[in-house]
Amino acid sequence: MEIDRADGRTANQLRPLACSRNVLNRAHGSASWSQGETKVLAAVYGPKAGTNKNENPEKACFEVIWKPKTGQIGKAEKEYEMILKRTIQSICLLNVNPNTTTSIIIQVVHDDGALLPCAINAACAALVDASIPMKHLAVAICCCVAQNGYVILDPSKLEEQTFKAFAYLVFPNSIISLPSEASPKPVSEPMEHGIITSVTRGVMPVDDYFHCLDRGRAATSKLSDFLRKNLHLQTPTDPSKAG
Amino acid sequence: MAIAEPTNNSPSYIDKLVVPGDVVLDLSSMSNQTIKLGGGLRQDCDSITAMKAGMLRFSKPNKYWVESSQKRYVPSAGDAVLGIVVDTKAENFLIDIKGPALAYLPVLAFEGGTRRNIPKFEVGTLIYVRVVKANIGMNPDLSCMDASGKAAEFGPLKDGYMFETSTGLSRMLLSSPACPVLEALGKKLSFEIAVGLNGRVWVNAAAPSTVILVSNAIMNSETLTSVQQKLMVDKLLQRTQ
Repeated sequence: MEIDRADGRTANQLRPLACSRNVLNRAHGSASWSQGETKVLAAVYGPKAGTNKNENPEKACFEVIWKPKTGQIGKAEKEYEMILKRTIQSICLLNVNPNTTTSIIIQVVHDDGALLPCAINAACAALVDASIPMKHLAVAICCCVAQNGYVILDPSKLEEQTFKAFAYLVFPNSIISLPSEASPKPVSEPMEHGIITSVTRGVMPVDDYFHCLDRGRAATSKLSDFLRKNLHLQTPTDPSKAG
Repeated sequence: MAIAEPTNNSPSYIDKLVVPGDVVLDLSSMSNQTIKLGGGLRQDCDSITAMKAGMLRFSKPNKYWVESSQKRYVPSAGDAVLGIVVDTKAENFLIDIKGPALAYLPVLAFEGGTRRNIPKFEVGTLIYVRVVKANIGMNPDLSCMDASGKAAEFGPLKDGYMFETSTGLSRMLLSSPACPVLEALGKKLSFEIAVGLNGRVWVNAAAPSTVILVSNAIMNSETLTSVQQKLMVDKLLQRTQ
């Protein structure tokens, strides 16, 4: 049942991750995220006063602009914008800054598979860089299903095109919390087992979809750790400067 | 992720980095206590979770907050900020303070201000103001007087040069004892400076070269330790003198 991947990775192995924050001078928050060859740059401006007429003024409004690497903006870009907007609305706190608009601009630098998860990760890192109030972070991953039901993670563009179906999955990040000293609360399921967004392309049986979910969830702990370490590295801590 | 537990106390995240979603306090184990939450924390039923990424800080007796540095400003009452006039209305000046909403400066909020001597500010004037009220969903209220009604250096700033930095750098410049950069610069040069907690800094000096030197030194000093800051200032001063 083993599948040989073109670049020699195992089924559960992710491509090398790299993330830098505060890369743009003028943006209020910015991040660049790359998984292997796929690289996305995200910039956040806001919150600024005022919302569109259609939006609820009691909540913060988010607008997403997706800029492809080449070509004109078409329906695929609009679909990505909508998916990103819904994902961001579910991880951000909307009542902290009512009647404001926050703009997120995604620029695709290179597309080599798993583009939307890479963009979601970049947008989340940029929102943290801009200090937009959030409920928790989001980590996104792409899972591919082969003919024989075999699931692989983080496909490259070639693998995405040759496999019969794939799913983009977004999970909340794993949080650290103080162990409660009082009687343990009945925990139904830890929060990391929730799912924020799922986008599927192609046809796959239901069991394969659940396999994808399990594999994706297991891999998100690695992504969560990477994101947390990255955030630790880039906030300079200097106790001698604390006022 | 496993958390290593010390032998007696529960682990605390004070002075450690937290990311949004981390539960920093569990209220079910403390009852009959008042806790004050500052910026970056919110209450979610029985737990206090972080909204922003930053260092969790605690000050006795009961104040918790998350300290982070960003380019936008979250208005809070009592802060002194630098605002730019955007518009004038009958009752207020509309001021941009780099926050989520424009702030209102009442036309009478000046020392000895009456209807007859309302100051005339052009659009684009830089003003040093104090935030009086800052509530969620409302435009912040400003004033050019301190709490006792005196002018106390508030008001329009003439000449000089204004540049924007992050809120963390502004807090460092205003910290006491004096920030190393300002101390080192003050020993050799004479200049005037106004620091707003919203990330705006205004510098004025007799010669433009002094203004440029001071601004560059401050902008470079954000990520340096105090020793590195002194070295950087010495190097800059050597080059010009």
